[in-house]
Amino acid sequence: MSILEGLRFYAGETAVHRLDPRVKFLLSVLMLVIVVMYTEVWVLMALMSVQAAMAYAAKVLGRWLKTMKGSLPLAALVFLLNAAFFLSTGAYGSVQEMLYHSAALAYRLVLFLSSFSIFFLTTTPEEIGLTLTSWRVPYTYTFAFISAIRFTPIIAQELKDIMDAQRSRGVELDRGGPIERARRLVPILVPLLANALRRAYELAEAMEVKCFGATKRRTSLRELRMGPKDYATLLVSLALFFLAVYCRVFLL
Amino acid sequence: MEIVRVEGLTFAYSGSEAPALRGINLVVEEGEFVLLLGPSGCGKSTLLRCLNGLIPHFYAGRMEGRVVVAGMEVSKTPTYVLSQHVGMVFQNPENQLFSLTVENDVAFALENLGMPREEIKRRVDFALRAVGIEGLRRRSPFELSGGQQQKVAIASVLALMPKLMLFDEPTSSLDPLSAKSVIDTISRIRKEFGTSIVVAEHRVELLADKVDRVVVMHDGRVIRDGRPREVFVQEEMKPYGIPVPKVVSMAKGVNKSLMVFNEVPLSPEEFERGIRGFLLDKVR
Amino acid sequence: MIKFDSVTYVYPTGVRALSGISVEIGKGELVALMGENGAGKTTFIKHLNGLLKPTSGRVYVDGKDTRSLSVAQLSRKVGIVFQNAEDMFFLPTVEEEVAFSLRNLGFDEGTVRRRVDWALRFMELEAYRNRSPFLLSGGEKKRLALAIILAWNPQVVAMDEPTVGQDSVQKEKLKEMVRQMVLQGRTVIISTHDVEFVAELRPRVILMSKGRIVADGRAEDILTDAGLLEGCSLLMPQVAATMSRLRDLGFDAKVISVEDAVKSIVERLRAVEHTRGS
Repeated sequence: MSILEGLRFYAGETAVHRLDPRVKFLLSVLMLVIVVMYTEVWVLMALMSVQAAMAYAAKVLGRWLKTMKGSLPLAALVFLLNAAFFLSTGAYGSVQEMLYHSAALAYRLVLFLSSFSIFFLTTTPEEIGLTLTSWRVPYTYTFAFISAIRFTPIIAQELKDIMDAQRSRGVELDRGGPIERARRLVPILVPLLANALRRAYELAEAMEVKCFGATKRRTSLRELRMGPKDYATLLVSLALFFLAVYCRVFLL
Repeated sequence: MEIVRVEGLTFAYSGSEAPALRGINLVVEEGEFVLLLGPSGCGKSTLLRCLNGLIPHFYAGRMEGRVVVAGMEVSKTPTYVLSQHVGMVFQNPENQLFSLTVENDVAFALENLGMPREEIKRRVDFALRAVGIEGLRRRSPFELSGGQQQKVAIASVLALMPKLMLFDEPTSSLDPLSAKSVIDTISRIRKEFGTSIVVAEHRVELLADKVDRVVVMHDGRVIRDGRPREVFVQEEMKPYGIPVPKVVSMAKGVNKSLMVFNEVPLSPEEFERGIRGFLLDKVR
Repeated sequence: MIKFDSVTYVYPTGVRALSGISVEIGKGELVALMGENGAGKTTFIKHLNGLLKPTSGRVYVDGKDTRSLSVAQLSRKVGIVFQNAEDMFFLPTVEEEVAFSLRNLGFDEGTVRRRVDWALRFMELEAYRNRSPFLLSGGEKKRLALAIILAWNPQVVAMDEPTVGQDSVQKEKLKEMVRQMVLQGRTVIISTHDVEFVAELRPRVILMSKGRIVADGRAEDILTDAGLLEGCSLLMPQVAATMSRLRDLGFDAKVISVEDAVKSIVERLRAVEHTRGS
């Protein structure tokens, strides 16, 4: 679960938080591309230090490290698979070289997740919604996205309550074989579905009286606007990115 | 000026034989504060939904009679137009908040109507201040108590600046202190802005001394309609399952032995005044 | 019957919901567990049938440590009705819902049939035997949840916020059921912040705040203590609030029922009249 922990938003007021979400998103994508381009461990290290510095500036270093920690088992798996693959095909001359490459691949995977972790840790779902709107995604989709985030924890709590209620009348969820267990899901899923339907009805009513869909030209209280800092960040990131591309193509 | 006129309203939800409302007649004057009482299933919620157009636009069914609200024929006016004159706050606060911050929820209806940003800002500020939750502006509904959530729901309706506000058991899931705070907020809105209010509630203790009028429903009909003092003194309320404030029962009990109260009290304050007045008279 | 021995419970999220709770509840007692939302009432109740086991300390039900027993085993002694009755319902008829639990707990068919009949009659639901639980009214749903629990005859019945969303008729009925259960010799524990409901039942009140027990005593004593209640985000019941305003006139301030209040007022006023008259 700790991977997901790193993808959850925490409110903050740092410069990184205030950066335009579109710039932050682009930054994550650029870092991702660099990770794909380079296998050299020192480049990846440098990139990671940049990320760490950003996470530190945004005061989410601890949670960012958690994401990294969460991705370790996956990275270990990648490492082992690679090692096994190289060993079986004999693609590398020395064991050292093989280990180095497997480690680099595993490392890349960790970076892959960590670069997006910073984006998700410092961007509110609301801002993600605004980003979608500014890219002309129809509001119904944005609304669906926001609602999913709004109601997931509530439904998770409901699931817990239902399990408690059923266990209190003698339903033993963790006994018996797989078929037996699957059958025991019925007393959990039916109330959950019934609750969801009722909730959907109430939400629809409330949306109706809140004039949902009244006009095609929906306005919004807040709007994304790029400031000088956003443009500066954008420029610097792009410059660094092209430098990285140039180095890959012509120098290394 | 009247804000609500209901004439011979009968309604049965589609798929159900028995009508939920049977021949309702009701007039609400502008600025009036009306308490709608009655046991669950008596038709209170259905009546409220007839006033803001959810019936017949959202719920289908067999409808007879006429409902005119703020000068508009409800059956002929789309809900998004009606909603700008008639606001509705529902029972469960959780299911009327859609956003991840309080201010976005208060802005929600205004955004849906495509209002200019400056106007939205102005109204959001106004609504948050009116309900007294400016401090919660950037908070997420998860972090709020039930009472705070219900206040956000009230602000989100108030931002539409309706002439009439409807409340469908707004405190039924709240603890007593939050319930009191929500009822006080409603009462303040009505005082400050002269908004007409119809509230369906079971908590008579909190409302008896604040409302102008009590309408009692039973089995789809209006069975009592009058000032709270007139309605609550009537003996025959109990069998209909209508709660009576404890101070009313106390005063009636006392009056059986000693004629202390000329007028039935609706709050502990009024009760106290009655007793002290009685003692003063004796001293004189 | 129930014993909490310095129980502390910390949720996996790190929230400390109970800290150092020690309390005993006897056989046949009627207890109202009161306090603000988040005081730890629900966490307390979940310890009664082992849904939660203490992080430290011990909970004993009928002398047995709950850590050594499963939820199913404990449930036979302690039946819990949670706030949202609908969380239980998944079968097509009322009757089947009641029978389902009995079969789960291993009763034979003859007993199941007898118990279903008894529980539905007791909760006045016989007429709805073959109806879908989802089509019942709010009050009937609550009674069905109680019937499901009572069917296996638990010695302890715990209810979490039973009056939320219930109108006065339903509350009246609920009060009657609670009294009956106590007459049957059961221990009844009600978690609630409904002061008016508690004032009418006059149980032993355990007042909780922020995971601790802050008061434990008669309803008359606790519900008339404005300071104590305020600290727990509760309000005095209207009778007590009224009487406390007249304290200076020598009225009995520890009164929570309409009848007692009327008696006290009339007696006092008569006395005043008398002294004036003579």
